[in-house]
Amino acid sequence: MNAPFVMPALGPILPELVLAVGALVLVLIGALRGEKSYGLVNGLAFVVLALAAAALVAQPAGKVLVFGDSFSVDGFARIMKAIALLGSAVALVLSVDYLRRENLTRFEYPILIVLATLGMMMMISANDLIALYLGLELQSLAAYVIAAIHRDNVRSSEAGLKYFVLGALSSGMLLYGSSLVYGFAGTVSFPGIAAALQGQSSLGVILGLVFVSAGLAFKISAVPFHMWTPDVYEGAPTPVAAFFAAAPKVAAMAMTVRIFIVAFPGIVGDWRQIVVFISIASMALGAFAAIGQRNIKRLMAYSSIGHVGFALVGLAAGTAQGVNGVIVYMAIYVVMTLGTFAIILGMRRGDTYVETIDDLAGLSRSQPFMAYAFGAILFSLTGIPPLAGFFAKFYVFAAAIEAKLFALAVIGVVTSVVSAYYYLRIVKIMFFDEPAQSFSPLTPALKTVIAVSTIAIALFWLAPAPLVSAANAAARSLF
Amino acid sequence: MDLLINLAIILGKSLLLLVALLVMIAYLLYADRKIWAAVQLRRGPNVVGPWGLLQSFADLLKFVLKEPVIPAGANKGLFLLAPLITCTLALSAWAVIPVSAGWAIAEINVGILYIFAISSLGVYGVIIGGWASNSKYPFLGALRSAAQMVSYEVSIGFVIITVLLCVGSLNLTAIVTAQETRGLAHMIGLPWLTFLNWFWLPLFPMFVVFFISALAETNRPPFDLPEAESELVAGYMVEYASTPYLLFMLGEYVAIVTMCALTTILFLGGWTAPIALPPFTWVPGVVWFVLKLCFVFFMFAMVKAFVPRYRYDQLMRLGWKVFLPISLACVVIVAAVLQVMGWVP
Amino acid sequence: MTQTLPNLLNDYLPLGIFIAVSGVIGLALLIAPFAVAFKSPDPEKLSAYECGFNAFDDARMKFDVRFYLVAILFIIFDLEVAFLFPWAVAYGDLGWAGFWSMMVFLGVLTIGFVYEWKKGALEWD
Repeated sequence: MNAPFVMPALGPILPELVLAVGALVLVLIGALRGEKSYGLVNGLAFVVLALAAAALVAQPAGKVLVFGDSFSVDGFARIMKAIALLGSAVALVLSVDYLRRENLTRFEYPILIVLATLGMMMMISANDLIALYLGLELQSLAAYVIAAIHRDNVRSSEAGLKYFVLGALSSGMLLYGSSLVYGFAGTVSFPGIAAALQGQSSLGVILGLVFVSAGLAFKISAVPFHMWTPDVYEGAPTPVAAFFAAAPKVAAMAMTVRIFIVAFPGIVGDWRQIVVFISIASMALGAFAAIGQRNIKRLMAYSSIGHVGFALVGLAAGTAQGVNGVIVYMAIYVVMTLGTFAIILGMRRGDTYVETIDDLAGLSRSQPFMAYAFGAILFSLTGIPPLAGFFAKFYVFAAAIEAKLFALAVIGVVTSVVSAYYYLRIVKIMFFDEPAQSFSPLTPALKTVIAVSTIAIALFWLAPAPLVSAANAAARSLF
Repeated sequence: MDLLINLAIILGKSLLLLVALLVMIAYLLYADRKIWAAVQLRRGPNVVGPWGLLQSFADLLKFVLKEPVIPAGANKGLFLLAPLITCTLALSAWAVIPVSAGWAIAEINVGILYIFAISSLGVYGVIIGGWASNSKYPFLGALRSAAQMVSYEVSIGFVIITVLLCVGSLNLTAIVTAQETRGLAHMIGLPWLTFLNWFWLPLFPMFVVFFISALAETNRPPFDLPEAESELVAGYMVEYASTPYLLFMLGEYVAIVTMCALTTILFLGGWTAPIALPPFTWVPGVVWFVLKLCFVFFMFAMVKAFVPRYRYDQLMRLGWKVFLPISLACVVIVAAVLQVMGWVP
Repeated sequence: MTQTLPNLLNDYLPLGIFIAVSGVIGLALLIAPFAVAFKSPDPEKLSAYECGFNAFDDARMKFDVRFYLVAILFIIFDLEVAFLFPWAVAYGDLGWAGFWSMMVFLGVLTIGFVYEWKKGALEWD
């Protein structure tokens, strides 16, 4: 006789449930109220994200596995989910004014953001290859559509299509790798794979791991699977690019960390080579390719590739300290990125948005607040103490040195110095060049985001303990 | 040796069923024309043989002796493959249909799924034929036909689900047996009133949806838009002549008869007698099956004669905005009622 | 209920034979006129039918995007039906939990259906 069918426990997935049900209700509201409902749906989407965050915070500490161990709710998942939710919510706030000016007020936009966030939370918590793939696809499918949300714009459509085609390719590679791993380990569950391998790697597993890494590298836009990033960031509407640069990257990085650390703990030596290569290549490309960019969104795309490389340094260490570094890095990176994109969204003259670096010339005289805030963020992105960016890099490099990856740490510092050139060039343009035409005043929402992120970056050194100790505890929950 | 004998028996059975089926279709075609004619106060075919009874066979002969034309611009292989696919697939469905207790060529446990799969493949013949002809009318006709067939397949799928919920098996024989052994007649204490047991009564809305969807699925009037003469000449068959055309037509009629047989099995109790008392039970099951099938076909023919043709937008509206929600709601209702009343098989 | 593989093949062997026989019948009918019928092709007879005109341009032209939309919607709902099949067969073993699980699934799809309806994806003016 068949075993009785039991309802799984739903308590631990309350944040995800809130998002899922919320997204469905929003679809209904949007469909029934028609195209005018953007404002309402957008507001409610924000409420849904806030409710999910509240449910996340209210969760008891400790580790719970649900749905036949395929979904893991632990400290690591909670902190990464919190960062992802923050990124999504801020992206939602940033987009309101832009969408209204560009006539893109479709109610689907906030819903897709909510669905993408749901996908990210599933990715972060996924404890087996199938759950991981489901989350990844939910996030990606929503993202493809958002990238092309400006349908009548050639570049936005192109961005969406490029993202979709390359994303499908990488999903395929990830699936192919997963099937190889499943074939050689006999299970899709991460702890199960670790138990099955018993620290021994076979050629099949390594091959599968390479393909899985290729799929993951695409999602975090690491070299050599970064080609889509500049085009998509440049083509997609700016708030969409802000969204892509923040939350999905955190989720994909969390997913990468979990799969390497939980599923393949015994064969660190094998996957470390892959991660080290990806990390060095990303840092180098991020540093050198950004130098020639005149478009600020493209520049930020290359910068984000470089930052992913830095974060991967922590993963390459393969220790709790390294994971701690990754968490801290991603948290600080999200804050810096959102601040930067808030400033890019502020580069507006009347109803036209401008995107080249030369438009920033002499910003310090026309808009000193914006110029000083952007200056602080750029110094932080470079990694100059005592700004937050320095601490981010410090923790990952320290972990790498602990793990005796001296070459990696040295290369990281060198590429950091190279990247300083193009960050500081912007500072020079803003402060010392002849003023260009001045921008329209910042909207309150942008002003708030810029102010909050700048303050967070500038004053992080006063109280790094809450983030670092939380990250430390979270990192330990994986080991 | 055993295997060879076994094979020979299966081969013989298959041939027997196919020949019987084709002969039956010859007469159903004749009946179709006669009924249509009678409604319009005409005589219908009445020249070949007594009362025109041999008309279909004369038609067959004529088709075989006609010049087969393959248009110069057509993809020859695909052009000839399309009718073959249509006809073969339509005939293949009959492998699992039980015409009486245990009288199925292949008694597989996923019978209804097989029929569902085969009937959805039918759309390939249409699409390939319309494309390979390299002509405008066939192309448009094929598109229309494909969209129409897939639209109604969805509601057919949901209807089948409701029946499955009441049966708990995909086997066609089990579906018939379930209508024999349980149901309304047993509840009111008169188990010999078998026709009250049949699913047409408890699932009446589904029966109606299924019947109308079957009309659309087989491109029958009033849903014969793919071949609406006034707009598309003959739809995807415009460029076809001789037996390639015959195969399309044959495939279409076989599909119709399959749908009639399916209606009989799903809703009219298959081969069971309507009243389980002598003299009704003396009649063999296969006769009841054919009688019921002919009754459903008669309804098909009458609809063709009575109902004016739908417009394409009305057709799609009916499929997507009426039948789909209704059948979806019925799945929910049937599942809930079965669970609440404890009638789940 | 479990069957051994040879038994399963025995069940499906008649199916294969039946399909083969129907294929042969179809093929025989298809070939017959090529063997026996009178043939005299000429260019007019072999040109595509276009109400007596010569064909204007390529027949494989652009067509209405709604046909494409119907195909996509069909895939969604047909998959849904395919997903319902095993559920319906095993319904007796699933009980209320099975009922509610499927209702959640159908509810999600219904919301999608409402969305596409309101968006006008089902309109054929």
